[in-house]
Amino acid sequence: MKNLLKYTFYSLLFLSVCGCSNSLLDKEPISNVSGQGYYKKPSDAQAGVNGIYNGLQALFRQNFAYWGEGRADNIVTRHAGDPAALQQNTLTPVINSARWDNFYTVISRANYAIKYIPQAFGTEDSEQKRQLLGQAHALRALAYFYLVRIWGQVPLVTEPYEGLDQDLFVKKNTEAEVLTKVEADLILATENCASSYSGARNRVMITKGAAYAFLTQLYMWQKKYAQALEMAEKVLADPQYALVPIEDWNNIFVKGSSTESIFEVGYNEVQPNNLRVWYANGSDSDYVPSAGFIASIEPHDLRKPRIYDVSQVQPRKIWKFFGQGFNDESPEPSAGNIVLTRLADILLLKAEAHANLNQPVEALGLLNRIRTRAGLPVLDQNKAQSQFGSLVGSILHERSVELCFEGHRWFDLLRNEIAISTMKPINGLSDKRNLLWPIHEGELLKNPNLQQNEFYR
Amino acid sequence: MKSSANQCNLKGLYYVLSLFFLCSNLIFPAIVVAQQKTVTGRVIDATTKSPLLGVTVKLSDTKNVTVSTDQRGGFVLDDVTIGQSITFSFVGYSTQTIKIDSRSSYTIALVAVSNLMEETVVVGYGRQKKRNLTGSIVSVGASEIAKTTLQDPISILQGRAAGVQVSSNSGAPGGEMSIRVRGSSSLNSGNNPLFVVDGIPLESNSISSLNGTENSGLNPMTDINPNDIASIEILKDAASTAIYGSRAANGVVMITTKRGAEGRPEVILNATTGVSSLTRKLSVLNARQYREAVLDSYRGMAKPEEPFYTIIDSLNPMNSGDVDWQDELMRSAKQYKLDLSVRGGNQGTKYAWSSSYLDQDGVILNSNYKRFTSRLNVDFTISDRIRIGQSISYTNAVNNRTNAAGSGNLSIIRSLLIRPPIMSMYLPNGSLNGYMIGQRNPVGMALFSTNLNKSNRIVGSQYVEIDLYKDLKFRSNVNLDYISMKEDEFMPSILDYREGYNKGAVRSSGNLTWGNESYFTYAKNIANAHNIGAVLGMSFQKWRYDRTGLDGEYFPSDDIRTLNGASIISNQGVNIASEHAMLSYFGRVTYDYLGKYLLEFNLRTDGSSRFGRNRRFGFFPSASAGWRFVEEKGIKDLGWLSDGKLRFSLGSTGNEAIGDYTSRGEFTLGTNYLDFSGAAPTVMPNPSLTWETTRQYNLGLELGFFKNRILFSTDAYLKKTKDLLYNVPIPGTTGFEFITQNIGSIENRGLEFSLQTRNLEGAFSWNTNINVSLNRNKVTSLPKNLLTGGHIQNGAFHILQEGLPIGVFYGWRFLGVYARDEDNTSGLTNGANGPAFVGGDPIWKDINNDNMIDQNDREIIGYAEPKYFGGISNDFSYMNFHLNVFFQYSFGNQIYSELNHQRNSIVRYNNLSTDALNRWREQGDQTDFPRLIRDDPKQSDSRVQSRWVEDGSYLKLKNVNLRYSFDPSWSKRIGLRKLDAFVTATNLITWTKYTGFDPDVNSYSGLRVGLDEGSYPQSRTFMLGLILGL
Repeated sequence: MKNLLKYTFYSLLFLSVCGCSNSLLDKEPISNVSGQGYYKKPSDAQAGVNGIYNGLQALFRQNFAYWGEGRADNIVTRHAGDPAALQQNTLTPVINSARWDNFYTVISRANYAIKYIPQAFGTEDSEQKRQLLGQAHALRALAYFYLVRIWGQVPLVTEPYEGLDQDLFVKKNTEAEVLTKVEADLILATENCASSYSGARNRVMITKGAAYAFLTQLYMWQKKYAQALEMAEKVLADPQYALVPIEDWNNIFVKGSSTESIFEVGYNEVQPNNLRVWYANGSDSDYVPSAGFIASIEPHDLRKPRIYDVSQVQPRKIWKFFGQGFNDESPEPSAGNIVLTRLADILLLKAEAHANLNQPVEALGLLNRIRTRAGLPVLDQNKAQSQFGSLVGSILHERSVELCFEGHRWFDLLRNEIAISTMKPINGLSDKRNLLWPIHEGELLKNPNLQQNEFYR
Repeated sequence: MKSSANQCNLKGLYYVLSLFFLCSNLIFPAIVVAQQKTVTGRVIDATTKSPLLGVTVKLSDTKNVTVSTDQRGGFVLDDVTIGQSITFSFVGYSTQTIKIDSRSSYTIALVAVSNLMEETVVVGYGRQKKRNLTGSIVSVGASEIAKTTLQDPISILQGRAAGVQVSSNSGAPGGEMSIRVRGSSSLNSGNNPLFVVDGIPLESNSISSLNGTENSGLNPMTDINPNDIASIEILKDAASTAIYGSRAANGVVMITTKRGAEGRPEVILNATTGVSSLTRKLSVLNARQYREAVLDSYRGMAKPEEPFYTIIDSLNPMNSGDVDWQDELMRSAKQYKLDLSVRGGNQGTKYAWSSSYLDQDGVILNSNYKRFTSRLNVDFTISDRIRIGQSISYTNAVNNRTNAAGSGNLSIIRSLLIRPPIMSMYLPNGSLNGYMIGQRNPVGMALFSTNLNKSNRIVGSQYVEIDLYKDLKFRSNVNLDYISMKEDEFMPSILDYREGYNKGAVRSSGNLTWGNESYFTYAKNIANAHNIGAVLGMSFQKWRYDRTGLDGEYFPSDDIRTLNGASIISNQGVNIASEHAMLSYFGRVTYDYLGKYLLEFNLRTDGSSRFGRNRRFGFFPSASAGWRFVEEKGIKDLGWLSDGKLRFSLGSTGNEAIGDYTSRGEFTLGTNYLDFSGAAPTVMPNPSLTWETTRQYNLGLELGFFKNRILFSTDAYLKKTKDLLYNVPIPGTTGFEFITQNIGSIENRGLEFSLQTRNLEGAFSWNTNINVSLNRNKVTSLPKNLLTGGHIQNGAFHILQEGLPIGVFYGWRFLGVYARDEDNTSGLTNGANGPAFVGGDPIWKDINNDNMIDQNDREIIGYAEPKYFGGISNDFSYMNFHLNVFFQYSFGNQIYSELNHQRNSIVRYNNLSTDALNRWREQGDQTDFPRLIRDDPKQSDSRVQSRWVEDGSYLKLKNVNLRYSFDPSWSKRIGLRKLDAFVTATNLITWTKYTGFDPDVNSYSGLRVGLDEGSYPQSRTFMLGLILGL
């Protein structure tokens, strides 16, 4: 009996040594962080906002040129897939650029940040906290602004998804509802973002100036010209934005972070984008300048040889983003930043606003700043009328050349309601409902409450 | 205070060990100590009168004297006094005891019983006599394993165990196998059974993260040398598996390795060598046929283009070849293996030591697998009450792999079949023509790319076993399974279209599992009628996984393959670690009355760190009952019925195979913006996540006829799984692709039959084993709000739909080819506003009769689940010859051949199968092969369609083994106790209608079953072997 007790004792002792409590089963992620309660410190908040920018990179990496240029008149393509579908206006719900997932990834990350940044800072009201909140709002607004311009009505999601009790199958909101949120977010950003950031961060992160610039774009899109003027004034008043001399024109893109740049999405060797694939992939890029575009460039325009190799009748690549004489046959992805807005854009938008408000003197003044830099003669109202049909027409032409291939052209056509008149002779675009993209089939399959855009049903 | 019952226990243990010992054909030396009397004798089979080798002969009332019979059945016992008794025991025979009288020579005739009924089998936390089992367990023993020359335990099970379906994901050496016990019972989580080796739960998922795609994994079970295995038991029903709780829903595979037994050390050397070759070559177009096809494809274009003339210019030195790339890439592959084992022991110490080395070439150039394994199992009796022991095994494997699988253009198999025959192997300057218009050179890929996987694995366990009290034992073991793996990948620039572009990657991974299991065992016999047994214990287990790696690009040359040379480090975010833990309590009670009425209850409670905090612990109970009605009066006297048992079980088990942190949601670090470190939500949290629960019912019947010359057993089961863990796709507007949820349910029901007959006995003997399994899988519920068109798309080819099995193919129905434009009488169009179909286009079934073909015209086009599958094994013996002929079959399943899609459609300039010779060429052609057309706007070939669905039924002469055992009297002359020579052929003949390499194909290990994307092909192997015993 003694032995029984003894051995039982030791066995139980052994068991109790191995015995474990419930805490054994609390395993915190090691290389990643648990979703619940990620935002604990200010540095978490900073990383969370950087994560939104990371989403922005992914968003524009592949489809940027498809959305902004692919359906417009400045390019031609020989490539099947998205380039052909967009240029020939045979959009289907299975093309890549019909996917909006990446927009909502940005939005989701921003929603997390907006909800939890205050928690990471506690009760303290710091400059950093306000800057981060401002950026998160601006990035969310940017995503929605593109969404509306590409798809029209889209679901407006402003809360992070954290469990199944939330409504997964959201319906579309009206464009006005979404744009109202975009406006509010951008105004919040103008109030909270820093005017500038130190060093390398400055033009690749959202500043007050960038928020004003996007507001300018937004109000122009909404044809709220007076408000657009007001916002553009804020940008123009900011001394850190100045036009570069024409000699540095290519460097706006090649080197990036120029004084002219207001906001650009940063890329590098390990976070590359498809600029080269779109514009300069050896002899086989997606896009080359269209004959119409080449013909539209005025004689002696100093930008022309900086845009492509003028010695070729049909240029095989676009130099604008890579520098004059660029002849690297390598098709590897490119590291150059994608400039979303720069001073020339805002100047010309402001000119357009003035023109629409029938203020030709102000409009021409701004327009001629850009023309002068390009070595072109200044325009007066008559010349504008005779050469380009109207003052607005001359400004749009200037935008078409100055901002060529920068992802503005299609939205310029839409904003001025000349997309159909411009594209009909080229690809037969004739139905207003066709101006929107189709929603990708995969998304419709996953959400029964979502209806395909009318033209594509 | 040692009791007799205790001794019985020890005896029992000893008996078990002896059985092992004998299974291994060990020969005990006669321990001769001179005393009063010497007894000699001979042990024979009561029916056949043939001598029995290896019978355990034990003298009573002494501790030591145990001998076993020699080749003639003879034994010698010294030191015997009259009145002592001698016990003769032998596997498959009833034990017999005689009293020593004045005679000094005895002939003992042992009566054979069903060898299966007396056998013990391994169950969770213990062993049970097969006759007392109430659950459904199938066992494959060492003698079966010895008939094959397969190198991993999973492929050995193919066709040999009812209810166990094994299919090959890859024919590569060390390649992945899929194993399903009683069907798939999970959607997104694992469907692999739990593997338990010598009581240790073993990692059975590969930790490889490079060298290929998800569909060409490695098989971690190849780390176990089949020659070390004493038996493999597959626990199938809930009664057997519930004691493994939340990991047992897919069944449990228990592998037991050979251990030492008392006696003279036995040394066995096993040497095999052989050669493998491709089982079947596929037909492709030759150069002339190919050029015609390319020209045809241009003619078919909507806006005909000028052909790309270089490709069809037979005078161009780059394009003047006529190559069947299969001939260039496939080879006769050699392999050899050497096994050395020493087993033996004395009363206090028993050991089994073994080492083996395998060097196996694959049939694709440059693929090779080398494996060194070593194992030491030791058991010590350190006192009357305490035994301790240790098992440790080490495996070093070097796998020079091939990126064979998948549909990408890095797949060798794909490029092997579609690279144009005209392309030259070399450029005019003598260097390899590695890349040309989208086609990589498969030979170049095999020879010049690196896909190296090196792993080291240690599996060890230590146990202590204490006899606490009469019938009460305590056992505790600590176990550890550590895998470390280093992988290298390199793609040289000669295989890329980009000048100077080469890329490399390196990964270093480690996976550590360790834990402890401690339990009490109680066994008591009351009044020789009531047998009571119980187990009660607890265990914990922890897992940790680490992976570190780098990717690089632009190495200065193809010869510099170290990551240090990369000019760009393109991915440095690979630094992953995760942990997982489990805490469990378990118990079992068994009761039987006279071995006639059997009852068993199991319970396990598991807590897993993977689940939401509030739903962490689960209970997994089971109950079972058996009735050995053969013991009943009246039945007992029936001469023809020698065994009969009815059993029933029910119980529930779980599946916790999801990501370690899924329930909590995840923020992924390393989502950086430029140089600023970022974090982003990548997994949506689901705090209510819990395990899947499978409830299983099993009804079994076992019958033996004519002294068990015919043994028949059948099982019927119903498995219902609910709360399936599934990565449910959710709208992109959430910012996430999917969320892991407990949704839906699945049902598997099936029948299993196995029949074992001893057809002929005597000098010429013939035994047959047949097994047939039927499993019907059905998805019984899916969340309604996730269904589109009534189903969930599951990858490109499959759907999940209520009422249908998991593996159904969904697509367009191909009805033939329009001979003429006019044959499209209704003017059927491609899409709403698309072009009408014309002569040479496929005829699609317009399911909804809206006169256009679109997404809504898809239907079920095939089923991957076999109607039945199994194996037939025949063993013949005559004199010293033994022949095993083993067939394996699967019937009624279909295969979606994505490979046939690849090689029957014009994509750029790929080559085609010879089926394309029957293509439609001009109006009026009656054929079922559509016209060739480049950039087909109607996307005829790329649709998921019934044209690529084929009958995957097959009957395979899987294994033929002919063995000659030399007479010991002869082998003794050259100093050997044992000498066997054998030849084995694997995958000898396959009868099938399937047109791919082999119908035993399953490109994905997961849910997308029955898909052939072009895996590493199966090979036919001939092996020669010698077994030497010292």
